[in-house]
Amino acid sequence: MRTSYSGMYPRPTKHGLLRNDDVAPTRPADRRGALLAGLAAPRFTLAHESVVIRMQGNSDGSHVWFDPIGLRIEPGQAIRWLNLDPGNSHTATAYHPKYFERPQRIPEGAEPWDSGYLLPDESFFVTLRLEGVYDFYCAPHEHAGMVGRIIVGQPGRSPGDSVSARPASGEPIPEIALRAFPSVDDIMRRGVVRPT
Amino acid sequence: MRIAVATFALIAAGSLPALAADQVGKAPPTGAYKKVSELVKLPDFLPGLGQLYVDPKTLPAGPFLAYDREGRLVSTVYMLPVEDLSNKDKRFDDLAAPGGDVDHVDVYFNAGHPGVEKPHAHIVLWHVPKADEARVAAK
Ligand SMILES: [Cu+2]
Repeated sequence: MRTSYSGMYPRPTKHGLLRNDDVAPTRPADRRGALLAGLAAPRFTLAHESVVIRMQGNSDGSHVWFDPIGLRIEPGQAIRWLNLDPGNSHTATAYHPKYFERPQRIPEGAEPWDSGYLLPDESFFVTLRLEGVYDFYCAPHEHAGMVGRIIVGQPGRSPGDSVSARPASGEPIPEIALRAFPSVDDIMRRGVVRPT
Repeated sequence: MRIAVATFALIAAGSLPALAADQVGKAPPTGAYKKVSELVKLPDFLPGLGQLYVDPKTLPAGPFLAYDREGRLVSTVYMLPVEDLSNKDKRFDDLAAPGGDVDHVDVYFNAGHPGVEKPHAHIVLWHVPKADEARVAAK
């Protein structure tokens, strides 16, 4: 019996997101190791090792995107947004009433974030500890569908709960952005979802 | 010696006859124009456009005046939000065009950027020949 992970989805190790052998044993046959990993993972999983989400755009600025657009990580892992677009500024902003009174699309109790405008080659770090689905957008490019989704650990009771488009007094989420989110299932299956 | 010649060429280019009203041929333009990268958080030089100046009162449409790395005017740009272009009650009238002769025009979609956050069309009046668009290309 595997004790290291009770979730219905495979661990993200197979997608290369975890690189520390201490917390991600490659031989799960060693039950003791797996058990230890299961205990250690929530607190010590690579808080120092960040996963990069690139902010990109094409040369005439007609198309902008996050890459990856969907990402699965372990609790406590850091995300780094990096602007690789030489001709534009981008933000990484959580959907939350705290910022611009937007609908909440991060887990209850999780700390929202707003990077502010990042110039080319600037970056911004956030460490996500609470499990669940986190949706974010780029402030100047939400209307161009520049959004992304991070799943920390397990997505929660049901995807519908954690990503409800609960109305806030601010602007509703534009249709083009709603359509752009990769599905929770897709992210859980693939670990990393690149923009198409 | 080569540096001296290059410098002289730059000075000569800069002393072309001034345009009437606002002086816009060389950066910075006179009048109410402000550097876009000082108004909003955007790179100082935008690959494909150059260094932009705009009178903030004219946002979002502009005109934006675009200069190459030597401060020479290369184009005048208008930025028209797509939602305004498809709104039957919205018009853009009498937009200023201080840049002089137009060699050719480009029109293309832009997903948005600080200053003009909504998706919009760039209408670019090039004051230089096609080949000289390279002056504002990415390095
Ligand atoms: Cu963006």
